[in-house]
Order: sequence, then structure tokens, then C-alpha cells
Amino acid sequence: MEATTQPIEPMTSRQRVLAAFRREPVDRTPVCNPTSVATVELMDLVGAPFPEANRNPEMMARLAATSYTELGFDSIMPVFSIIQESSALGCKMQWEQKDNWPTVRMREPIWVEPDDIKIPPDFLSHPDMKCVLDAIRILKKEYGDEVAIIGKTMGPWTLGYHCFGVEPFLLMSLDDPGKTKLCLDRMKEATIQFGLAQIEAGADALTLPDHATGDLVSGEYYKRYLLDLHIEFAERLPVALILHICGRTLDRMDYIAQTGMAAFHYDSKNPPSEAMSIVQNRISLVGNINNPETLFAKGPETVREEVYRNLEASVHLVGPECAIPLQTSIENLKEIPRSVKDWHKEHSTPN
Amino acid sequence: MGGCRSKIGMGATTEIGSRIELVSMDPHFHDISIALYRQEGGNGWSLLVHTYSPIDGAQQRIETVTDGMLTLGGMEKVEGASHQVRFACNAPHHLASKRLFLEVCKLRPEEQVQPRPLSIFDKKSRANVTVSSLGDGVYDLSTDGASEAASKRCSAITGGLVKLGEMLPIEGVEGRIAFPCGHAHDRLVGLLLVRALNVRSIQREQEMAASRGQLLAPSAQKQ
Repeated sequence: MEATTQPIEPMTSRQRVLAAFRREPVDRTPVCNPTSVATVELMDLVGAPFPEANRNPEMMARLAATSYTELGFDSIMPVFSIIQESSALGCKMQWEQKDNWPTVRMREPIWVEPDDIKIPPDFLSHPDMKCVLDAIRILKKEYGDEVAIIGKTMGPWTLGYHCFGVEPFLLMSLDDPGKTKLCLDRMKEATIQFGLAQIEAGADALTLPDHATGDLVSGEYYKRYLLDLHIEFAERLPVALILHICGRTLDRMDYIAQTGMAAFHYDSKNPPSEAMSIVQNRISLVGNINNPETLFAKGPETVREEVYRNLEASVHLVGPECAIPLQTSIENLKEIPRSVKDWHKEHSTPN
Repeated sequence: MGGCRSKIGMGATTEIGSRIELVSMDPHFHDISIALYRQEGGNGWSLLVHTYSPIDGAQQRIETVTDGMLTLGGMEKVEGASHQVRFACNAPHHLASKRLFLEVCKLRPEEQVQPRPLSIFDKKSRANVTVSSLGDGVYDLSTDGASEAASKRCSAITGGLVKLGEMLPIEGVEGRIAFPCGHAHDRLVGLLLVRALNVRSIQREQEMAASRGQLLAPSAQKQ
């Protein structure tokens, strides 16, 4: 991607994000949030608190839009949580309060064997799925020309944790790879169905979180269980796909770069320059600004340092590494686009 | 299907300083978030009590919290600015201000707020602990308990005040501490004294608050 070497006509936020996903020249590096940037203060501002903002499409759209209207990001991503599909599949939910994330009660799994896996015929019309689809339609109508609207569909590894429980699912992957692959293959239909429905609703891109995280799953595991599935997603979901995996993932970035997905949303545990040298422009990188230590607990100066580190490494899109803590300050979030613009000003070639 | 742009304009959040403390859900007013912002201007430090909530009564609630900080912390209003307070000494007293704000937010709005006394009964030592102002921001802690345990508790409570109020121990004088600004803050000391009896509970409260709102990968969640 070239951001400063040639003069580029000013772009809209949407054009900027989509060009960066294709690794084409941009007028400046886009600020992108493939995952949530909702905060409790933004919830107040627009009257859309959790948990309702996860279940009511107008509230979901209103809260999501603040990433553009208030924070100055180039994208809007309304699917704050990672539980919409699991709720529709029948998992037991804990919806929590305004200041915490809804979660799946993984101690009470709903599936044990591959034959238990059933995608309900009314999967897409479940209220928690319909909420996302309606929110995307609202956002597309109101902001679709100017901002990139990003949806989210959970990958089968995450659905496996939610529906089988983390420990049983990991043990199954150790004891019976064939059975695990069969489960993943069956669960992937939920990912595809929800992804296609969001594209139809107007999503420009989809985040695909699949929590084969660096702490529990190795790079080799990624290759064995997920590489082919992720290639299939890139083929069957006809928009820019952003794979999201938390943690240290340098050991699988070479495989991830082979998936054909548009971008990889990567964690601050991976140094930007090292990650860029592994992916070799085969996939765009996005993210990397640390959540718990920087955005949540430190000030704008540290945020700026991390943004600059990414820009110096020519990372394609900058943003938080994952869904930000709900108590993050607005000041720190605004510092991301501000730093990006300043960096480009400092590095622009005088005419 | 409704829209979302019409509900709020672009850029409704403005530069109001650095947020130093946040109550995510106010238990006394519709779970709104209330925050304390630090501002530095030509006249020194000041603190702004703020909510982004536009609901009816929210500004009244902010007024109540601001008034509570004046009464319980001995702060003064910044002239010509609403919901903005400062210490007369012009020092920020960062940690003490945060604690003051959190304690005030816990109070029920209908409660009659009174400055806290500079003396308190300590259940652990079964003795009264008294803080005396010696002027110029210097304070002495003493106990009416004669036991060794009471004396130890007095030291621990002195340590608690040092931590919570960023005060300085005066070397060589047991139980003597001072504010670095050199000014007396009796009301603030009265407020902090209650919490200085059990600083660990404050730490637990802070840890719990920090752990909420972080989205964890499924593998990292407590199951």
C-alpha cells in the first residue's frame, strides 16, 4: 500500500477502508474498527446502553455510528459482542448490564456430539440475528455512501467453544481430529449463512473472529483445523473478510496470509514490523493498538506512540486490537485518528 | 425501521480535559455514567464533573455530585463555570480527588451531606483515632488506645492516609504527615480517614472495577 509517495485525490472513509483492504493506494491510512469501540459514555450520549444495544437494532445502529460521528474512525461496526449467533443457536446467555459484556454460559454446553449440531431453520430470523441485520440496513441507508459498514460473523472454532464448552472442545480436538473436523464443517454453515445475510443487508466487509488464540492453539493447529475452512470462507463470502484472532499469532500469520482474506485484525502482542515482514503484502493488517494497558489505562501520548509504530511499519489500517473495554476514555479513542492525520502531515511531501 | 443520524449530530463530544475517574453506572440515577475530568488552565488545575447523558434530571444529579465534592472535600467552585471545582491551594491532589468523587457518587441524593469528623472509632483496635491539623498542611494522628495494637493500627491508618491522599510522612515523627502543597485540607482528611481504616477494601474495589467491561476471548473467560 502506498500512502504518501504519490498525491492521491481525497477519499471518503469508505473508499479509504476498502482500498486498504485491497492494498491499493490511499490518501491516508484508514482508522478502522473491525470490532467494537462502544463505551459507557457513548452509550449515554446516544441513549443506547448495553445490554439493550445488543438486542435492539435502532440502539445498535445509533451506538455503532458514534465510531464515525464522534471518534472520527473510517468504519462503523455494529456487532459489538461475540454472542449473537450462539444466542440464536440456543446457548444459555448472560446478558449482563450496561458496564459489562454479554457472555455465553459455556459451563452449560448445548452440544456434545457432531450429530447434535443443528442450525435451526429460523436461525436468521432469531431476534438477536435480525437485530444485527436491521442495524446494518439502517447504517447502510444513513452512512453507506461515506463510511465502510463492517458486519461480523463468528467462525466455527469460536462457535465450538460456545456450544461445546472450551475444555470439551479442546479435548475433542486432541483426542479425535476427525470428529473435530466434522463439527467445524457443520458449524461453518452458521458462519456462511449469517455472513451472506449481512452482505445482503449492506455490509461492505465482515469481521470473522475465530478464537484459535495464541495462548491455547498453536500455528500448526491453525493449519490443521482452520486454514482450509478460512480459505473456503474467503471464496464463499463475496466481500472483504477480516480475520480476527487474539493473542500472539506470528506463528500462523504465514498461513493466514494464504487464506485469500482481505485483512487480519491482529493483537498488540505481535510487533507491527515483524508481522508486516511475515505477511509480505499478501493480506492487509489492521489493529494492534493495545486495549488493557494503553487505551484503557494510559493516556493519549502512549496511544500516539503505538499508532506511530504501526504507521512506521506501513501497517495498512490502524485501530484497537480487539473490542475495547467499555470504560475506555473518549479522549484516547479520538487520539487514534488524530495521530494518524498528524503522522501523515509530518510525512507528506511538499508540492 | 428508524434512523440513527437524526438522533445526534456529528461531534457532540468536545474537548473537556483528561478523564481521571469514572462511575460507569450511577446507582442513584438511571445507571448513567458520571466522570471526573481534569483541566489545566491559566489559573491552575480544576476538575469537571460530567455526564454525556441528556436525560431529564441528569444535570441536577451532576449538580448534587459537584456540591458533595464541595462539602465533603472542601473544594471550591470555579467562578463562571458550572460543575467545575478546584482546591484553593491550586494543587490537583489527583488520588484524593478521585477518591472524593467516588465516595460522593455513592451517597444517596436525598442524604444530608455533612463534612466528616477528624476522629473515628477503629473497630480493630477498639480505640478512637484522631487527626489534628497543625497548620501548613501538617497533620498528627493519635489514638486514645494505650495498647501496642492501637499504636500499630495508628501507624497503619497513617499509611492509609499517605496512600489515599498522596501525603508525605514527616521523618522522625510517628503519625505525622503532610500535604505537599503546604495547605490544610481538613474536610478531605476527614473523608479519607474513613477509608484509611481499610485500604485493602479500596484496592479490591479498584480491581473489581478494572476487570469489568473487558471483553475476553472465550478461552480466557471464567466458565
